[in-house]
Amino acid sequence: MFDILIRNGKVVDGTGARAFLGDVGITDGRIVAIGPELQQEGRRVVDASGLVIAPGFIDPHTHFDVQLLWDGAAKPALEHGITSIIPGNCSLSLAPLKADDRKTLIGMFQQIEELPPEAFTQAFDWTWEDFAGYRAAIEPALAVNVAPLVGHSVIRLWVMGADAQQRAARPDEIAAMQDLLRECLEAGAVGLSTSFVDVDENARPVPSRFAQFQELDALCAVLGEFGRMLQIVPEFYDTDITIARIDQLAELSLKHRIPTTLSPVFDNRQSPNNVPRTLARIEEQTARGARVWPQMQTRPIDISFSLLRPSLFFARLPGWIKVLRLPVPERMIALRDPATADRLVADVGEDGGERLMGRLVVRGGGEAPDHLVGRTLGEIAAERGEVPARALITLSLENDLSIGFLAANGGHDSTERIGPMLANPLVHIGASDGGAHLTSFSTYGDTGYLFSEFVRKSGALSLELAVRKITSDTAEIWGLKDRGLLKPGFAADVVVFDPQIIARGEERPAFDMPGGGMRYVRDSIGIDTVLVNGEVAWSKGSYSDSATGRVCELT
Amino acid sequence: MALSLQRRFTTPEPDESLESLAARSLPDLPLDVAMEHIRGWNLHIFLMRRPRGLLLGGDVVFIEPPQT
Repeated sequence: MFDILIRNGKVVDGTGARAFLGDVGITDGRIVAIGPELQQEGRRVVDASGLVIAPGFIDPHTHFDVQLLWDGAAKPALEHGITSIIPGNCSLSLAPLKADDRKTLIGMFQQIEELPPEAFTQAFDWTWEDFAGYRAAIEPALAVNVAPLVGHSVIRLWVMGADAQQRAARPDEIAAMQDLLRECLEAGAVGLSTSFVDVDENARPVPSRFAQFQELDALCAVLGEFGRMLQIVPEFYDTDITIARIDQLAELSLKHRIPTTLSPVFDNRQSPNNVPRTLARIEEQTARGARVWPQMQTRPIDISFSLLRPSLFFARLPGWIKVLRLPVPERMIALRDPATADRLVADVGEDGGERLMGRLVVRGGGEAPDHLVGRTLGEIAAERGEVPARALITLSLENDLSIGFLAANGGHDSTERIGPMLANPLVHIGASDGGAHLTSFSTYGDTGYLFSEFVRKSGALSLELAVRKITSDTAEIWGLKDRGLLKPGFAADVVVFDPQIIARGEERPAFDMPGGGMRYVRDSIGIDTVLVNGEVAWSKGSYSDSATGRVCELT
Repeated sequence: MALSLQRRFTTPEPDESLESLAARSLPDLPLDVAMEHIRGWNLHIFLMRRPRGLLLGGDVVFIEPPQT
C-alpha cells in the first residue's frame, strides 16, 4: 500500500514527454510507481481527475533567506506549486557573517532587495555566524526544499571587514576567502552568488564589486572542486556589458568546469536587440562547451509605490530615497519644504520627470480620489500646470502620502516576444526575486503566469515544455539530486493543478511581515495540492503543518 | 562554432587610475586622447556612477567604441 496515491490525473513527468492519464504512488517520501491504473491502494488518496500531476516547481532566484527563519514554507511561494527554492542570490546571504557585520548586511538587504530592517530584528534569534549554523537554524521548520547560495559580498566582509568595500583583496585574503567558501560548500551551499550592479543603503557599491576578476577566478576554482554554480547579476541595462559578462562566465565555466547563470535578462521595446544578441552569444559559448544560463522571468515588472515607503522605483534617485527614509512626519515636512521639493524635482532631470514619471498611473484601492484613478501622472500634471515630479509630490501631500502609483511593464513588455524566448532551450526560466522587493511588487505567482500567459493565451510553450522548464531543467542546471521529475526513486515533490485555470491572483497588500510590515502578494489560482518530500504541504486552499522540506542534496 | 567579434574590454588592476588604464589599453594614443576615449566609451562608469569615474575591480571597461 502506498502512503499516498494520486489517482487519475494527466501525468506531466517533467521530461517534456507527452502527458498521459495515470496515477502516481508515493511511499517514504519517494515516488515509487507511475502508470495507468496502479493496482495498489493508498493510505491517502488524492483525486486528480481533470488535473495535471507534475513535479514540484523550482525557483532558482529568490531572497527568502530571512523569511525562512520564521516561515519555512516561504509563503506564498509554496501555494503556487514551488517546492524548492534557491536563496542567497545577488552576493547576499545570511552566512557566513560575523555578528559585527549584521547591520551592514541588513542595510544592503534593505537597499537592494527592499526587505525591512524589522525582518532581521523582530522575528528570530540570530545565533549563528557560519554557514552550517544558518543551515541548522532554518532546517527544522522547512516546508519547502532549499538549496542556498553563499554570497560573495558576505565572504568578502568576513575576511576583509570594512576594507571589503574599499579595495582589492591581497593574495592571503583571497586564500582565506577560498577556505571560507570551501567550508560553506561542504556545509551544503549550492554555489556562489556575486553582483556587478548593486549598491548599499549609502549608494556605495557592494563588496563583491571591488573584487578583481582574479579573485572571482580563485573562488570559482573552489566551486570547481565541487562542480557548483556561480550566479551573477550583470549590468542588464547594457547589452555590450552583458555580453562581456557572458564571456567572463564562459571562461570561468570552461576553466573550472562549473555551471554559471546570469540574472536577470530583460526584453523590451527600448532595446529590442538585447535578448537576441545575448542569446546569440550564449549559443556561441554553449557550442564551445561553456555552461552559461541566462535567467528570464515570466512576468513584466509592475512597480507599485507611494511616498509612504522607499521604493525600487527611486533606485537611481538617491536624493528621493534619502527623503523617503525619514520618519513620516519628518518626511512630510521635508516634502513641504520648497527648497527640498525643488531639489527633488531637479534630481529627476531637465524634463521634470516627464520621461521617468509621466506614464505613471494612479492606482485604485481606496486611497486615491476616484477622479484620478487610472489616469497618468503626465495628464494630471499638465492639468495642474506642474511637471510630473512636482505633481507626484503635491498629489502625495494632498493625500497624506497614501496615493499609490503604478509603473507598469518594466522589464518585459510584450508577451509575443517573451514567449519564444522562454521556450528557447538556452533560456533558464527564473529571476523571480521571490521574497524580495516587498513593497514594490509581488514576486510570487510567476509559475501560474507562465501557464496562463504563455501556455494557454499565446501558446508559445506546450504544457509539457512549460513544466519541464521549471522542474527538470532547473534541477539539472543546478545539480539538485533526485528532484524535478516524476520518476521512481525521485523525491515526491509534486504539484497537482488545473491546467485550464492555473494563474496568479491579483496583486494585493498583506500585512504579515514582522512588526506588521506590508508586502505585496498574490494568491494562487488553480493549484489543488502541493506535496513536499511525500507529505501534503498545501491542499485546496490551506497549508498543512508539515515540515518536510530539506536542504537539497546535490549531484 | 567560432566566436564572433565583440567589443573589446579590460578590467582594472588593483587601485588603478584612469590614466594608468588608458595608457596601457591605448598605448599608441596621446594620454589625454586615450583618457577621453575611455571616458566616452564607458558611460556606465564615467556618467551613470556616483561618484563618477570610480573604478571598481569588477568593472568591464571597454577599450573600443560600440560597433555600429
